[in-house]
Amino acid sequence: MTSLESFSLLTPELVLLGAALVAYLGGAFAGLRQGWLVAILGIAAAMAVSGGQPAGGAAVASGPVSIDGFSIFVRWAVLGIGLLLALVQSGDIFAAAVSRGPGLHRGGTCEEAGTFLVMLAGMSLVGVAGDLVLLFTGLELVSIPTYILLGLKRTDARGQEAAIKYFFLSLLASAVFLFGATTLYGIAGTTSLAGIADALQAAGGTSTAGIATVLLPIALGMTVVGTAFRLAAVPMHFYAPDVYEGTSPGNAALLSTLPKLAGVVVLGRLLALGITAEPSPAGIGPAAMAHLDLFWQLTAILAAITMTVGNIMALWQRNLRRLLACSSIAHAGYLLVGVAVAAAAAATQAASPLGDVAAAELSWTLGMGGMSAALFYLATYVLPTIGIFGAVAYLGHRWPEWTATSGPRPPREEITTVDDLDGLSGTNPVAAFAIALFTLSLAGIPPLPGFWGKFTLAASALKVDWTSPLVSGSRRAWFVSLAVILAVNAAIAAAYYLRIIAAMYFKSTKRGVQADGGLAGGLAMLACLVLVAMLTVQPRGLLAAATRAGKSLTSPVPAAVADESLAQMSDAGQERLTGKPAIP
Amino acid sequence: MNGFDTKIHLLLTIIAPLVGGVVAWALGSRGLSAVRQSAAVSTLATLGLAGWLVIRALADPALAAGLPVALVEVPWLTGDFFNVSLSLGLDGLSLWMFGLSALLSVTAVFVSWEAVTDRPVGFYCLLLVLESAMLGVFAARDILLFYVFFEFTLVPLFFLIGIWGHEERRKAAVKFFIYTLAGSLLTFLGLLVIVLWSTAHTNIVTFDIETLTDHMRTDPLPMTAAGGYLQMVVFLALLAGFAVKVPIVPLHTWLPLAHVEAPTGGSVDLAGVLLKIGIYGFLRFSMPMLPEATAVAAPWLFALGAAGIIYGALVALVQTDLKRLVAYSSVSHMGYVVMGLFALTPVAIEGANIQLINHGLASAGLFAIVGMLYERFHTRSIANLGGIAAKAPWLAVFFMLFTFSSIGLPGLNGFVGEFMILAGSFQRAWSGVSAAWQTWYLSLAVLAVVGVVLGAWYMLWAVQRVFFGPSREPPRHGEEPAESLDIRRHELVALAPLAVFVLWIGLAPGTFLGPVSASVRETTGEAAIAFAARMAEEPATADIVERPTSPSPLAVLP
Repeated sequence: MTSLESFSLLTPELVLLGAALVAYLGGAFAGLRQGWLVAILGIAAAMAVSGGQPAGGAAVASGPVSIDGFSIFVRWAVLGIGLLLALVQSGDIFAAAVSRGPGLHRGGTCEEAGTFLVMLAGMSLVGVAGDLVLLFTGLELVSIPTYILLGLKRTDARGQEAAIKYFFLSLLASAVFLFGATTLYGIAGTTSLAGIADALQAAGGTSTAGIATVLLPIALGMTVVGTAFRLAAVPMHFYAPDVYEGTSPGNAALLSTLPKLAGVVVLGRLLALGITAEPSPAGIGPAAMAHLDLFWQLTAILAAITMTVGNIMALWQRNLRRLLACSSIAHAGYLLVGVAVAAAAAATQAASPLGDVAAAELSWTLGMGGMSAALFYLATYVLPTIGIFGAVAYLGHRWPEWTATSGPRPPREEITTVDDLDGLSGTNPVAAFAIALFTLSLAGIPPLPGFWGKFTLAASALKVDWTSPLVSGSRRAWFVSLAVILAVNAAIAAAYYLRIIAAMYFKSTKRGVQADGGLAGGLAMLACLVLVAMLTVQPRGLLAAATRAGKSLTSPVPAAVADESLAQMSDAGQERLTGKPAIP
Repeated sequence: MNGFDTKIHLLLTIIAPLVGGVVAWALGSRGLSAVRQSAAVSTLATLGLAGWLVIRALADPALAAGLPVALVEVPWLTGDFFNVSLSLGLDGLSLWMFGLSALLSVTAVFVSWEAVTDRPVGFYCLLLVLESAMLGVFAARDILLFYVFFEFTLVPLFFLIGIWGHEERRKAAVKFFIYTLAGSLLTFLGLLVIVLWSTAHTNIVTFDIETLTDHMRTDPLPMTAAGGYLQMVVFLALLAGFAVKVPIVPLHTWLPLAHVEAPTGGSVDLAGVLLKIGIYGFLRFSMPMLPEATAVAAPWLFALGAAGIIYGALVALVQTDLKRLVAYSSVSHMGYVVMGLFALTPVAIEGANIQLINHGLASAGLFAIVGMLYERFHTRSIANLGGIAAKAPWLAVFFMLFTFSSIGLPGLNGFVGEFMILAGSFQRAWSGVSAAWQTWYLSLAVLAVVGVVLGAWYMLWAVQRVFFGPSREPPRHGEEPAESLDIRRHELVALAPLAVFVLWIGLAPGTFLGPVSASVRETTGEAAIAFAARMAEEPATADIVERPTSPSPLAVLP
């Protein structure tokens, strides 16, 4: 439990911070390009020192740091996303360098890359936090660099408006979250997540009623609403279109991916407070039960509202970044479905204290629990999203319609609306193809990754309380309805995704595209294209990783039996597949 | 008939169009003729492979016994939690549809021969991708693989309509896509429930359609109030997607728009193959897996089929646009198929099966000729056309042939299907139903007969106005030399094979019905039994038949 041990667990984060320092100091001597080179090398170095996913074992905890399969998945996700985002972000810089308009700032400094690295470190810390204070610190370490990047990238009024709006709302969300976190501390008397879980599960007697009816709703309501800001979920979703519109494609890519990951991680950690690694025969206790029930109800309602609101808002958008902002709201709703399923499944399992083996087994057959589905979905959402923003960053500007006789050539215009993509299939066929593929994936068309993501989410939702009858008002009916709402929303979403494709392929234009955004954005687009293609053909690897991660969060195993149960689990899986017992 | 392994044969057939697509793309710089020739070669090669495979399958005694042949099974998405495989094969239900897809793809390429000059590489690549997906839908033996192909067919057709379509193409493409997607997403949830149910009851994760069907037989989804009428819920979910695809009235509104705006090649594939996937879905999933729900829904769907016949025919009667008229005739003719399917007598179901192929041939031929007329005269308006038969006698001959096929002239294929469907429907009315239902079935069957008359009316009237009567040729497009207006070589290649099959099925239907019947009995037997059981209880109570279910859903777990 020495602090040195805690630090040794945080090597990748420390590497990122070290690289950030190099970027900050080097900023005195070098330009922006070198800064992004440092960023990419720093991320690569952090990857090199990140361990693999533990094969389902128990968490390694030291001080406020707690590393389990979930943390490792999050860390790798952060580094992978970071690498792609670094490309898109540096693409912004090139765009800025050639921009004639007042919008994007010129030059830029090495510090941007450093700030970006600090943000990645913060995001990764959120994943490994086993303590409310570290969790909050990590979240702030994500937020504060975001303000800086938002403020730096664009110097026009709109950019500043976006930065200020994000700044104030983020502060509000942090305060709300902190209020909830304080209440959790009030319940348990400790900031350690494990300690809070123990306190919740042990709560009994007269204090239970107070906790369950007064403190828990406040704590959960506040933390979930605070987290909704990062997910861009209802009720904290309304900033997204304005902020995305006002900022650069690189920043929009960043805002639509990393904070979402943070949101899912925080919700996962909160949900896990009601789950225990070593169930006692008496069950998990009324307070923890109330926690789980409240949690799934809250997230399920938010999920239904968020996806519907996001999709319907998106239908009216003409501006490309606003449209993608609304779509990212809708995707936050899909992610929440997974979180709600995880909570409901945990509640089901907790209600059968002696561990209904069959029910527990079933909850894992056919595609994982809700948390794993949410993590998998997140990955299938992030890749096309970064890809689209990468493509937009790469395309940069287009020329207005102009003939030699109509006077001097007008200046280039930044690509902002869906109509600006008109006829892209003729002018930039590769970018058009990539954007079309990403869009179809976001819409969930098989066999693209988005389809596999929606498949796992829908399957996990349909599976909740599988053995109980489907009567109205039951938990099962809730989740069946949620699956139907998800399906209907996917169809609504197709309407605006198709508009993007229709603009690129079904319309023609006389306006040329400059493609002056630099190669980095294009490189990010191509990287995403390759990854999407790989996931299309074989999503198995990512599925397995997400499954292990979700499992380590929602059904943790005590350290002693970790290895043994792992062996059993794979036997059981083998048996289920073949219908035959595994060969001993 | 000993050739190489049928597995490889089947895989090759499905992959061949994709290879052709790559070749066409590679030849893109060589210009239009190189591209279309390579597309023609690859569809012809695929047709050859598919035809040979069909012949080999017919020679296989397993097929006659209702078993699938040419099985391919490659694990795809396997692991602890999924067990999806690239599992392919053909049986009596899919065999002819598989062959039809290959045949109509050739037609689709040749009718586009001169019509498509804008971005030909994209057009032919999409057409070939679509062919691959269509072949895949019918060959899939894995429920998820089926769904992947099923939904993926939307994508190439969306682009085909949206890029190469007519004036309203963007609206048509988007409407087509969203309508079909909305329905099929619900279908997807229904299919998932089936898989989950089977997993919970056998502890075996499988997506294999055959195994799932067996599981559904031993452990049917509950059809009781206590079980939440789950079987009915799943049936309705599947219905949502399949009914839009067929389309069953009143979910047909996307179809006329999509057809009218689509390029001819797209219309041929859409009418000839894609509409059939809905019916195929009923046969493959709804009827064998959810027999009791099918029995409950059958009378109502039977009625919707009859409504579609009359509605489609009446709307077709007042159309001024020839292509729109043919599109509405599709609505009407798919009504017969729906009716035959849900009459739930073996004759009617076999008739519906054969009618699927008949309609595929006839409507593809009609759409193709409408496209050829449009190429020549740049109008589809019936009022602007007239006396074409004098100038283009062979086109008129083919159009008459497909018209007669579609209105069911004896000796042609349409007669076989319509006769069997009507005979089966009357059979249903006279046997095994209570007095109240007898009136129901009888009046609807009579309506269907009225529909036959209406069908003859609107089709023959259109033929009369367009091909005969005073010549009303609109000014020809451009300054083309006065070449013959009659059929050209590539058009003959597009139409002749269809005509051959129209005659062949009409004269020797046994060849085509034989392999179908065993599979049909196999897949629809349960539904027919459930229907009979339900009707037997009819006088006493109108409640839903209860089947004994296993005591606890988890009792089978170890």
